[in-house]
Amino acid sequence: MKIDHELILKLEKLARLKLSEDQRSKMIEDLNDMLKMVNKLDELDLHDVEPLLHLSNQYNVTRTDKVEDHMDRDAALANAPDSDNEYFKVPKVIKK
Amino acid sequence: MTEFAVNIGLEVHIQLNSQSKAFCADSILFGQAPNTQISPISLAYPGTLPKINEAQIKKAVQLALAVDSEIREVSYFDRKSYFYPDLPKGYQLTQDNAPYCKGGHLDIIVGETLKRVAIHHIHMEEDAGKSIHTLDPKNSMIDLNRAGTPLLELVTDPCLETAEEAYQFLSRLRSLIRYLGISDGNMEQGSMRADCNVSIRPKVSTKLGERCEVKNVNSLRFAKKAIDYEINRQTKVIKAGGTIRQTTMDFDADKGVTRPLRDKEDVHDYRYFPDPDLPPLVLTKKYIQEVRAAMPVLPWEIENKMIEEHGISQQQAQTFAYDPELRSRFQEQLKLYPSAKKLANLYSNKIIPYIQSEGVSIKEMNLLNDQICGLLQLIDNGEVSSSKAYQLIFPELMKSDESPRNIAQRLDLIMAQSSDAELETLFKTIFDDNSEKVKAYQSGKKGLLGFFMGQAMKASGGKLNPKKAKDILQRMLDNQ
Repeated sequence: MKIDHELILKLEKLARLKLSEDQRSKMIEDLNDMLKMVNKLDELDLHDVEPLLHLSNQYNVTRTDKVEDHMDRDAALANAPDSDNEYFKVPKVIKK
Repeated sequence: MTEFAVNIGLEVHIQLNSQSKAFCADSILFGQAPNTQISPISLAYPGTLPKINEAQIKKAVQLALAVDSEIREVSYFDRKSYFYPDLPKGYQLTQDNAPYCKGGHLDIIVGETLKRVAIHHIHMEEDAGKSIHTLDPKNSMIDLNRAGTPLLELVTDPCLETAEEAYQFLSRLRSLIRYLGISDGNMEQGSMRADCNVSIRPKVSTKLGERCEVKNVNSLRFAKKAIDYEINRQTKVIKAGGTIRQTTMDFDADKGVTRPLRDKEDVHDYRYFPDPDLPPLVLTKKYIQEVRAAMPVLPWEIENKMIEEHGISQQQAQTFAYDPELRSRFQEQLKLYPSAKKLANLYSNKIIPYIQSEGVSIKEMNLLNDQICGLLQLIDNGEVSSSKAYQLIFPELMKSDESPRNIAQRLDLIMAQSSDAELETLFKTIFDDNSEKVKAYQSGKKGLLGFFMGQAMKASGGKLNPKKAKDILQRMLDNQ
């Protein structure tokens, strides 16, 4: 995989970020360096090795189905950039 | 002219009826004041740690067992990344790469034919919050009560061929999840939602056509309408020389049409990757065995047993199988009344239509077992005609505890229990008064039987047992 200008534009769009041309060149360089580092693994024969998805040996960390205290609404809304007494307010997004 | 074949695949979201959310302890009660069922986890505060709900796992395993799906021993959760204001984390927790089960099937009946619908897989995930666009002209309002509600998504193979089959499948699935008690399956409230993938292809081809996915169908009827509309639309496009592009469609229930929801530009790139916060889920044979042991007998097993034991129709057996309350009433009544077939017919002709049209349960109908059995006995004894019993006595039963016999007497519906000799005398008189008609009958005008019956009914004030009278009349006319 190669990081190029086109891919950066796509990632910007997906991450809702806007980079300057300078930042883009730097980003292309950085990401290519990171890939190069990870690609070192290709030097090993790993076809029998399961991917390591989780670092701990834990599994089935579950909770019983019980309702506990809810967060106070005023407290939750107080952290939002905009709200009325009931809802978080965001700039109009229309799905359709 | 090219003939087209249709392929329909369904993605059904089933909202589980647990107490709390999938990964935190907020309530999932429907219809509460906005943003009152939230916590740092559902708001995606930094540093919070999700923990999976045991009830979601158990209900998921129940559904997998019911549809004979192969349960994966080790599964895990992925992040499906996209930005939308009602998704505070910026990703949905779902199972993409390793869903907890794969394969399986659910049988449906279409017309008279049994069809086995193949299930591709089922996976666990969480719901998003709700965006409301109509409250404020400049803003969208966000309610996060629903964010994190546990869902199962069941995906079928594209093996359904008509809108009717899709309808039957959804209806069957809804009955099943209600029967298992894992969801209330209420499409209008969104606790069961179906996305319908529809494609058409030339009949001779085996390669699937490009599909369009219709979202937002919130009733069984709409699903059927939306699919039929989509089949027609695609057929028209292709016949006019056009091509179908993969598109997400919205169904407008008011107008009964589908419309593109997003344009091609907006194709999603969800960048799935394993969620590092949720350790793998291991479903051991022992655990699965425990869940299986605690599950009720499955409806189709009951259905087959009832057909075999009682000789009732498949439709009737199915109704009883999926409705434990109705079934136990039927079985109580069978202890008091011998004919399962006649009893089942009373259910399919009167009781079930009433339940469906009035939206009540059998309990709310206020029918006593003795009343039901008494009604059938009146018919069996030839004391009341079945049409009068159904039309006039049955509605009275629900008004009070009065016995069917009392009602029949009160409404003057009891038929005269005339002896054979009495009936013969009656017909002799009628023959004497209408000798011309008797001759006409004997020379072949068999339709006159009705005339003689009519005379006899008139003479008795409408209270003859018609079957018995007709037998005697027939015998007398043939021996004249």
